[in-house]
Amino acid sequence: MTEEMIATLKKFIATEIARQPDRSIAADEKLISSGLIDSFSLVDLGLYVEDTFGVRIEDTELNADTFDTLEQLAALIQSRQ
Amino acid sequence: MTLSNLAIGLLLTLVAAFFLNAQKRAFFIFIFSLVAVYALQPALPIRYIDFWLPTIGLVLVIVLWIVITPHEIVKSRENIFTFGWILLVIVILGMTRYLDGLSFLTASIPPRIEQIMSALVVFGILILFAIFWAKNKSIALGGIILVISLLIAIKYQPITIWLAQTLRSFNNQAIETVTAFDIRWLGLSYIAFRLIHTLQDSIRRRGPTVFLQEYVTFIFFYPALVAGPIDRLERFVKDLRAPFSRSNIEWGFIIERLALGLFKKYILADSLALVAINPQNATQIQNAGWAWVLLYAYAFQILLDFSGYTDIALALGRLIGIKLPENFKQPYLKPNLTHFWNNWHMSLTQWFRAYVFNPFSRSLRGTSLPAWGMILLAQLLTMTLIGLWHGITPNFVIWGLWHGLGLFFHSRWQNVLRVRVSNWATTPMRQQVVNWSGILITFNFVALGWVWFVLPTPQKTLDFFSLLFRFG
Repeated sequence: MTEEMIATLKKFIATEIARQPDRSIAADEKLISSGLIDSFSLVDLGLYVEDTFGVRIEDTELNADTFDTLEQLAALIQSRQ
Repeated sequence: MTLSNLAIGLLLTLVAAFFLNAQKRAFFIFIFSLVAVYALQPALPIRYIDFWLPTIGLVLVIVLWIVITPHEIVKSRENIFTFGWILLVIVILGMTRYLDGLSFLTASIPPRIEQIMSALVVFGILILFAIFWAKNKSIALGGIILVISLLIAIKYQPITIWLAQTLRSFNNQAIETVTAFDIRWLGLSYIAFRLIHTLQDSIRRRGPTVFLQEYVTFIFFYPALVAGPIDRLERFVKDLRAPFSRSNIEWGFIIERLALGLFKKYILADSLALVAINPQNATQIQNAGWAWVLLYAYAFQILLDFSGYTDIALALGRLIGIKLPENFKQPYLKPNLTHFWNNWHMSLTQWFRAYVFNPFSRSLRGTSLPAWGMILLAQLLTMTLIGLWHGITPNFVIWGLWHGLGLFFHSRWQNVLRVRVSNWATTPMRQQVVNWSGILITFNFVALGWVWFVLPTPQKTLDFFSLLFRFG
């Protein structure tokens, strides 16, 4: 389940945000603090998570302190499902 | 903050860290923060206003805490005691009018005790009214509007001057000598952001329920009162409630950040201030080379001054068991403007991201605007508001727009060129070239932006730009 979720998120980030579909993103790679996902794309990611997994991520939670890697984001989503 | 204020704060914090248990430590922070609100308030020429502003701030914080807190908690025994302690501190500070030895606790002579008692009766009625009536979302929203109005009144000179004139004539003081500096409210900018954060979270039914003592401590926490950082209530309260033991004090961190902060603020920044650009020297120099020296001196002065303050605040906080958030992480060594803003005054930018940028960007998603238009609008609005937070003047608006446009162009550039640059930068050498070019461009863009920030009018700013680039 977690791997599947991480794969879905990874595909969205690589294709829609980084615009490099072939880019590999490790599950523990820093996404926000590294600058790969900027503030505006972070809102896109938040909306994508809401639409795809039915989980709300608050505006105050869209930051590197709440999640900074794919596995942290997947854990956050699962904790709310 | 003067060095003597800092020395007293450090000494008392050390004593508290050594001799107090967790519960007494929390109480010490609460009382000391209350006193600091009055002791650090600058003396003002309008009679007694430097006593009333902290008192009004305190009453506002109490009322807004009532608004966001469940009724049964508000009336609990602990909170009744806290009301009593706050009252006692105000009365004792008022009594220093009659006690020469304690006059350093207030900015200038407090009002007569009967005036203070009368005001406390009025404030008491207001608080009682809040307890019985202020219990819904629209009141919390009203609280946000009130806090923003106060910020505007203090930061928009025509209103500040009008208020100062009104107060001067009420006090029978000369109105000819009025200036916007007549009303300076210590820490209001930071206090306001903490209040808005807790009010907004309460509207969205988030955020912790806290006791009045914890809330007052959070809003007025003395190490962060003057210059931040802007913490979050849930994080702050977790530290405040955590067990505290002398053996857990991180001396290495505290000594390092305190020494670094003192060195940055009081030696480096204060020395650079002698050569840094200011409204006076900007019009006196004639030479482009010197103009650049003045500008770079200012760029480093503002960083060292502000981050030095933050280092000191973090060290003091840690000494008493509160891990305040970082505010600066080598911002001038970042390869682009987005990274710069992720590492400059971080607690402020995170606040704006959470309460302005993210909700606004979210709301734009429902419109037919193209993606670039949404990014442009969201960046411009956020950065303009950050500019206005520093003061409501055309120059701060332009400074905000300068950075909003900079962020927008960086985001577009990144979309177009990211792949091309990463394909070119295949060797470590080329990566270094890309990285250092980015750092150099970003630093100079930020430094040139400071001209708008530090000079008072667009005309003076343009004159200085002409000098920098020798136009005309």
